Amino acid sequence: MTILVTGGSCSGKSSFAERLMARLDGAPRIYLATLRAQDAESRARVARHRAQRAQGGYRTVECPMDLQGAPVEAGASVLLEDLPNLLANEMFDGGDWTRIGGALAGLAGRCANLVIVTGDVFADGARYEESTEAYRAALARLGAQAAAMADAVYEVVAGIPVCVKGEEACVLFTRC
Amino acid sequence: MRLYIGGAYQGQLELARSENPGAPVIEDFHERVREALLRGEDALAFARRVCEEQPEAVVVANEVGCGIVPMDAGERAYREAAGRALCELARQAKTVTRVVCGIGVRIK
Repeated sequence: MTILVTGGSCSGKSSFAERLMARLDGAPRIYLATLRAQDAESRARVARHRAQRAQGGYRTVECPMDLQGAPVEAGASVLLEDLPNLLANEMFDGGDWTRIGGALAGLAGRCANLVIVTGDVFADGARYEESTEAYRAALARLGAQAAAMADAVYEVVAGIPVCVKGEEACVLFTRC
Repeated sequence: MRLYIGGAYQGQLELARSENPGAPVIEDFHERVREALLRGEDALAFARRVCEEQPEAVVVANEVGCGIVPMDAGERAYREAAGRALCELARQAKTVTRVVCGIGVRIK
């Protein structure tokens, strides 16, 4: 099963995604970490996420770029956190963001379960410079592609998951 | 406590008032979070204090996290604080209503 989780910043997406993972079978359980901890703020974020999933029995795989090359065996249960960081790294750090779409499809094909966390950066009404707008457009496209292939899509609002696709699958997780 | 949230100007205040006549209303909770931060108060602690001291209140807030992460560290910290404070209010709330174009959708 493939599940996409979106929402604004600090809306409780990660913690909901981890609760979903706890309900899903598949071994091993792999955490694909995309955030490069380069400063105190991102190190604090990484530490907070690590503490959150300490009990989950995850194998953490650092994956700031090159998703298709991530060591993920068939049948694994994977939490990809998150698309916005992966895209930023590929786009602004000398990678190739156009390979992300194919990598997502490949990952969904070989995992038993895949939970993808993305983010809503589309509703602040501000206009940004060209490269940031290109980033927003690309993230929107990837989000739409992930949603199209997902069995269920949730938007997390103030920590509450709201089902936007896949009513049947969502029913399984309403109490997550 | 009942919580009404939405993007800016979505009608959450009007709906909160019309659905809860006579109840005390805390308006613009996201701005109250900003003030708490300026006082040096932790956002989560502030949210818990509001729940504890005003259990019958109707809290109205904007969602502020759906944009590009701000370059300014202070603005980033504020958005995080507002997001986490709202999660805590929603966790403790009897009901959570999200308002889009004046229409309320009960999500809890």
